[in-house]
Amino acid sequence: MNATACCFVNAMTVENTEIARGLRRRDPDLLDHLIEKYQHRLLRYLLHLTGRRELAEDFFQETWIRVLERGRQYDGRYEFSTWLFTIARNLVIDHLRRKRPASLDSLADDALPSDIPATAELSAFDATVQREQKEQISAGMQHIAAEYRESLVLRFQEGMSLEEIATLTGTPLGTVKSRIYRGLSALEPWVKGVR
Amino acid sequence: MNTDLMNSDPHERARVMIALSGREDVSNRERSWLAAHLESCPSCREFAESTRESIRSLRRIPITASARLISTTQMRVRQRALELQRQTERFWVICACCAAVTVCSGVTAALLWRGFAWIGQQASFPMPVWEGGFVVIYLMPAVLVGILLLSRGTFLADHDRSYQDWSSN
Repeated sequence: MNATACCFVNAMTVENTEIARGLRRRDPDLLDHLIEKYQHRLLRYLLHLTGRRELAEDFFQETWIRVLERGRQYDGRYEFSTWLFTIARNLVIDHLRRKRPASLDSLADDALPSDIPATAELSAFDATVQREQKEQISAGMQHIAAEYRESLVLRFQEGMSLEEIATLTGTPLGTVKSRIYRGLSALEPWVKGVR
Repeated sequence: MNTDLMNSDPHERARVMIALSGREDVSNRERSWLAAHLESCPSCREFAESTRESIRSLRRIPITASARLISTTQMRVRQRALELQRQTERFWVICACCAAVTVCSGVTAALLWRGFAWIGQQASFPMPVWEGGFVVIYLMPAVLVGILLLSRGTFLADHDRSYQDWSSN
């Protein structure tokens, strides 16, 4: 590991320790800052998990309440985002269990129709092509199995490592790899539909 | 890169490597093998292209949280933090009260016992009567407070509009 990478890792560890300390104190200013910092990432994850904007927004709020209440359990050894997403994921699964005995799979059906926006700010031809691509991919994402969708979002939108995804989802590394591969394969027809 | 999927045919192996193409997951040797395979296999090349396109499109999907959602969340979190703080304060007050009561009862039990014995002697009560009176008087405050607390629900709960009520409405 070179010096820059070492500094980066140290900075991350210090930041996680600071967050853990603040969460133990239930520091509202720290929570305000964290809510703002992770707002888009968490909502995007929840939206892909649930497929419905209102539901995702409810879970978004509940996740932060849970972070406040269980903040003492975070020890700073892992990335805060991994812990945060695990809480969000468990909330969604608890909700599904209350609704009916089920796993994440049942979201695949619930998620339709999708509320995931597919807008673009570009103009003319490029904007149209990009919008079409996003719409196709968004539609494709809602049609693939929820566990594939989750792995793809965590890997390619959140930029998590395979190990982080395995920790978050509580699945073996091989399963994560297989889900990403199968998820991308399942998306292939949708991408081809655009081209 | 060790995965069960790697044990299958070269096309499957190539596709898995393409799908998991994070820098940390593929060694240089595997990358060279993949490049060579893509040179000679049009279907895997097409898969690589569509995978690249999928990943690019996934990264482009714009999802943003509204300012209203953020402010509502922050407000709810602050309100809940305040409730938890009040709960903790109440918990420590009750702990302090329990400690004080334990000390006081330890100190006064002997005196009270002697007082009851003296009254029993003066009034010529039989021993079980004044002993029973001592037990009743000694336990009465704790029993009364217990009944009062139970009748109001849990002593740690907020008796004004609590978070649970607020969130469910």
